[in-house]
Amino acid sequence: MTPAPDPPATAGVDLHPGGRPVMEARGISKHFPGVVANDHVDLALYAGEVHALLGENGAGKSTLASILAGLYQADAGELRLAGEPVVLRSPREALARGVGMVHQHFRLVRRFTVAENVALGDRSQPLVMSTPDVQRAVVALGERYGLPVRPEAVVGDLTVGEQQRVEIVKTLYRGVDVLLLDEPTSVLTPQETEALFGTVRAMAAEGKAVVFISHKLAEVVAIADRVTVMRDGRVVGSQPVASTSVRELARLMVGRAIDLDVVRPPQRPGEVVLTLDHVTVDHDTRRGSLTDVSLEVAAGEIVGIAGVSGNGQRPLAEVAAGLLAPDHGRVVVGGRDVTGRGPRAARAAGLAYIPEDRLGTGLAPSLTIAENLQLTRPHGPVLDRRRWTADATRLMQEFDIRAPGPATTTSSLSGGNIQKVLLARELDAGPSTIVAAAPTRGLDVGAIDTVRRLLAERRLQGCGILLISEDLDEVVTLADRILVLFEGRLVHTCDAEGADITELGLAMAGAGR
Amino acid sequence: MSAPTRDRVDDTPPSGTIRAPRRLALEPRQEVSRGVLVAVPVLAVLLALIVSALFLRLTGHDPVTVYRVMVRASFASRFGIADTLVSATPLILTGLAALVSFRVRLWNIGAEGQLYLGAVAAAGMALLLGDRLATPVNVVLMIVAGALGGMAWIAIPALARAWLRTNEIITTLLLNSVALLFINWLIFGSRSIWRDPDSGQFPQGQRIPAAAEFPRFGTTRVHLGLLVAVLAAVVVWLVLTRTRFGFRMRVLGDSEDAARYAGVPVRGMVLAVLLLSGALAGIAGAAEVGGLSRRLDPSSLAIGLGYAGIIVAALARLNPGGVVLVAVLLGGVRNAGTALQSLPDRVPMEVAVMLEGAILLFALGSEVLVRYRIQWPWSRPADDPAQGAGAAEGTDAAEGAADPAPGVDAADAAESAGGAAG
Repeated sequence: MTPAPDPPATAGVDLHPGGRPVMEARGISKHFPGVVANDHVDLALYAGEVHALLGENGAGKSTLASILAGLYQADAGELRLAGEPVVLRSPREALARGVGMVHQHFRLVRRFTVAENVALGDRSQPLVMSTPDVQRAVVALGERYGLPVRPEAVVGDLTVGEQQRVEIVKTLYRGVDVLLLDEPTSVLTPQETEALFGTVRAMAAEGKAVVFISHKLAEVVAIADRVTVMRDGRVVGSQPVASTSVRELARLMVGRAIDLDVVRPPQRPGEVVLTLDHVTVDHDTRRGSLTDVSLEVAAGEIVGIAGVSGNGQRPLAEVAAGLLAPDHGRVVVGGRDVTGRGPRAARAAGLAYIPEDRLGTGLAPSLTIAENLQLTRPHGPVLDRRRWTADATRLMQEFDIRAPGPATTTSSLSGGNIQKVLLARELDAGPSTIVAAAPTRGLDVGAIDTVRRLLAERRLQGCGILLISEDLDEVVTLADRILVLFEGRLVHTCDAEGADITELGLAMAGAGR
Repeated sequence: MSAPTRDRVDDTPPSGTIRAPRRLALEPRQEVSRGVLVAVPVLAVLLALIVSALFLRLTGHDPVTVYRVMVRASFASRFGIADTLVSATPLILTGLAALVSFRVRLWNIGAEGQLYLGAVAAAGMALLLGDRLATPVNVVLMIVAGALGGMAWIAIPALARAWLRTNEIITTLLLNSVALLFINWLIFGSRSIWRDPDSGQFPQGQRIPAAAEFPRFGTTRVHLGLLVAVLAAVVVWLVLTRTRFGFRMRVLGDSEDAARYAGVPVRGMVLAVLLLSGALAGIAGAAEVGGLSRRLDPSSLAIGLGYAGIIVAALARLNPGGVVLVAVLLGGVRNAGTALQSLPDRVPMEVAVMLEGAILLFALGSEVLVRYRIQWPWSRPADDPAQGAGAAEGTDAAEGAADPAPGVDAADAAESAGGAAG
């Protein structure tokens, strides 16, 4: 759920009293083999503003941010800090000059404590780091900006949201004036997103320039003062948020008008295709736990599992898909008891599984598209590669997978195309049951639309779908019934038709019943 | 430095149109081309030759003469080439042993010990069979015995790895010393069937029966083992590219989570791959006994063939065909060591060992060039529309996921913290 857009606090106020930007990019160009990631991009950041960088995946937002943060060198153009031309050769140099970045994939040492991670790379530390000093500083920064973190906690034990706070504290500790947040909300729950917004506002209020990179329109409108829209490596618009609208931003970002409503005609569910019967998974630090979960998914319906991430979504998906044997209870797919019989048995019974971790679990990153499309198929001892290529060519066309060819390495694709490869394989197997975990997380608007339509289409064709998603909007849009998962238990059930969002939100926060 | 001409009319000051001065820097590669994969090992070998030349010069030898002698000894005459191939034979097999395990990101460092045990088993088989059977049968049985010997030696680390997740680097490495002690004991410390009872003062291995000797080609010392080794390389290549087993190896080597998800029996695969690796090393031992020393001879076996296999596999970038080529190159270097001693100014044969070590160091060091590209101060942006793959942002995630080096998390963290890196 994305927070309701409220009017920016600074609307109508002169945003740039000083007139001079703290940081400026002029005519930045960056080429990668075959791709122009940035094409003469200009960007000006002012103290005390939240500046959104909006664009679809592949539009060049992350590349631009990486150049600002010293990670990449621009091929052409220049950077200026407080009007002075600078060359930032490394993230260290950028940090030293007050430019910090929080990456989408965190760069933390999992075995270190929060304080150790914060102090890592700080050359002003004495040879033996003064832990109490760093801990005090972490707590102080946390209070000042609304970033509660325990400095003595080990990073590997923290939730994703907490790790993000550590990343932000890390940059604040080094005293940044410009903070770049790359897709910060893509890993957060609605509540965590709210908290992050509070932090971002606090930082802007202290005179820092915050760059908020996102492809989510509602968020941009809710948090930013100014927005720069990028498409295909170019800036296609830059203006105060107050003077624009979600509709206009969407058109700028995608280059065409877009309609996100999915058709969900009512239909009578058929027989039950997936049953979880009193399933319990004892606690496992890697996955979390499930307690006495019972649910049924019928043919032709989508059952949505809402909940804040980390409340048992992963064991739920893995138990249903046969990857995890439950400690108690039974799993029945298409009338066959597949409890603890492994993923191949579940698949043979008609189940398709779209795991949350697409590249790494659902797909092997360095294999080709053709190979990944065969990953879960039964094989004879000798492979029939010619058929693989033919299959791949057909599926790439059918699912509109954009890549040079079937032999393209999967990891080189964009997020949307990666997900399409996964969906192509899983849906082409002709499943009766689909378990989809966070199927649109991190995708751009166009790809989200494709994925949702594909799922809705399968529902009409009589598939039973278990949709596990932290995106409450998505669950409400797609599902027929909604179950709320909290701390490994199903705590709330309702029909999606006329669902009460407040009630769902309360249940997700553990306050239901 | 001719930046792309721009016809923008704005008030950008002159400094804005000039590109910022740059220094030598490293940038992560988006996509690694085939040319780079070939060029980097070649560069590593060249650099090793140059650095070794400096050492030769410092120790008062003429590097040009030394290298010329080495080339002449190993690659220029018929017998030189033959001896090079003899040296290359076990290296191909131990290189393949390293290759199959490394492909799955299992690190069998114990080809050395597995080779000894393969030699023990093959020699034992030959001595047991005596002169009863025809040579082809003997040869096949010795190869099978060698493979089983190597598998037996890796079985404990393999089982421990598959079920207990014990670090196989340590277990396989330590068992090498045990294996060396074991073959020395068989010859020097016991009255085993492997020892020649008539060798008295200077114990040596019992000679295997003539019927068990691997046939040689013509008047050279090149023996059947070479054919076996090349055949093994072809088989490994076919298995990797054409079979379900090879496909599962690639999936497992790429991502264990994906393998589990696909229903690949992970434990069984770990076990099978390590056993296959041990078997290849064991066959190398069998070929050394049957084709070269014709007895269990610790001193001719314990010359680091297993460790050299790691160098071979690394330089070949885990490519079976590459393993054969690199093994011949390295075999030539090893073979030339003896020829150097005959030079008038007595170049020590350890030059060959130094060269081998230098090649490995540079091969490992140049790995950075595969993952990163150097940005020269004067370089222009790489703009190659021929490779139209991948969007700019998609690859960022891929880098992390496909990264072969363990501990990269920490390195990345350090880098972005601006600490240790740089």
